[in-house]
Amino acid sequence: MKTLWPIALVTFKEGIRNRAIYGITLFAFLLFGATALVVNMVPREAGKVAVDMALSTISFTGLLLVLFVGINLMAKDLDKRTIYTILSRPISRSQYIFGKFLGMVLLITITVGILSLLAMVAIVLLKMTHAEYFERFSWSLIALAVFLTMLMLILLTAVSFLFASFTSTSFITLALTIITYIIGQSISGVKTLIESPPQALGFTVSPVTANLVKAAYYLFPNLSLFNIKLQAAHDLPVTTSYVAWTVLYGVVYICLAITLAALIFRKKEFP
Amino acid sequence: MQRLFLILLVVLAGFIHVVSLGKASDAMKKLPQGADYAFVLPSPILKVAALEYQGLASDVLFLNSMVFIGEAQDRKEKPKVKEWEWHWWLKTLDAATDLDPYFFDPYYYANAFLPWEAHMTEEANNLLEKGSRYRDWDWMLPFYIGFNDFYFLNKDVEAAPFLMEASRRPGGDPMLASIAARLAFKENRTETAIFFLEETVRGTDEESLKKLYETRIQALQSIALLEKGVDLYKKKFGRFPSTVDELVRRNIINQLPVDPYGGTYYIAQDGKVISTTSSELEPHFPKSMKLFH
Repeated sequence: MKTLWPIALVTFKEGIRNRAIYGITLFAFLLFGATALVVNMVPREAGKVAVDMALSTISFTGLLLVLFVGINLMAKDLDKRTIYTILSRPISRSQYIFGKFLGMVLLITITVGILSLLAMVAIVLLKMTHAEYFERFSWSLIALAVFLTMLMLILLTAVSFLFASFTSTSFITLALTIITYIIGQSISGVKTLIESPPQALGFTVSPVTANLVKAAYYLFPNLSLFNIKLQAAHDLPVTTSYVAWTVLYGVVYICLAITLAALIFRKKEFP
Repeated sequence: MQRLFLILLVVLAGFIHVVSLGKASDAMKKLPQGADYAFVLPSPILKVAALEYQGLASDVLFLNSMVFIGEAQDRKEKPKVKEWEWHWWLKTLDAATDLDPYFFDPYYYANAFLPWEAHMTEEANNLLEKGSRYRDWDWMLPFYIGFNDFYFLNKDVEAAPFLMEASRRPGGDPMLASIAARLAFKENRTETAIFFLEETVRGTDEESLKKLYETRIQALQSIALLEKGVDLYKKKFGRFPSTVDELVRRNIINQLPVDPYGGTYYIAQDGKVISTTSSELEPHFPKSMKLFH
């Protein structure tokens, strides 16, 4: 841990200094501003739409952070050859990966924290003006939704580290991470779709496709598991067992991905 | 000098920008429209494509449908909304509620427009039944279904269980249960309808919709008054009056009620009171909607 912390801190500082973060912050502000505008166009369930907008803004901004800051942080050391000076110090390659990852976790946590504060301000303001449309509303469920979103972002970061450990350019890592995100969010929907009876579908699914989807289902992280925006927006019941299993799934997947990344990175040959 | 020229150029460009944007979007509006509305992606595909933003996608679809209703208000032609447009509108709301079946607004507006304006009561009820299934705490949705069954489809027996359900849910008026019982007797349909609409107003906060419903109540109250007069006339003279004026002339009623839709009343051969504006309360659009101010 002692060797990890300095790397994590440097990574975090580097991330904060990244110029992309200004753009991302501006974007988040615009989205929160848009919330007020959109909510005024909804006659009844303004509370639901406000929560939808706030949670979506948090997760989308977080996604931009992972894709455009996180991947850069990892790639910069390789692109600019600064990796040599780091690895010449008394730290192992695994420690380097773990430290970097820890720094990214720190960056995500703090960013999501700040975004949540902004979202809270936006919701509180709307709640003051549209109180009667916030009947079904629960802060604790919103907090849980934000926490699970954070876990999803950390998982995606771990996967991007795995890709970065064996690809040669950051662009390929970016492309693979985006593909993973899209597949991860939609795979369980696609699986349900192809497993529904052919009469309902209107076409038959070939066994090859079905098996391919099934393979993808177990291989790619199931990111839609971490999405309880709908439940949070309507204050619908969320069971403890769901939360427990999902957190366990997330943590195990993160550990697997980051350990695998470290293992591959140890064998990597630098140009 | 060069700097002044540059500033002038920028100002000129800014001016052209504003003008051309206005002209282009005006011209765009005059192009044959319809392609925008023509289709809605099937819900399973929308669900997958929306990734983790299904709630947001549902909001966007709903807002689309609201923008359409708002634009249709300004149309000159009659009917303001074509049949295929209502089908598109329904599909959009259906997709919005597939993405987020707990979202109340799409059901609320489907109920306010589809049975009254589009004569698509069955379709509206299918949508409302989906809502009632998911929003099992909400008394308004089964209430709407019950009303539509009773008022538009003349399915009194089918309406009763929905009203019972509405009376059981939190906020639902226990009186609804007795209305359900009243439906067993086919009498006083107009008064039952008035009671129904008064309940609807109770569950409506939106001012323009409230006004819309209140006008409908007023129209029904006028008809109820005339119907009572016709009954009294029949008892007194043993036949139906041929015109509503006869009711006033024979001092059955003091004066003719005003049709809020601007029509005149006449009496059909079977003694039914009908207005020229409506075979079943002429549909019309709310004059003002919060959204477009």
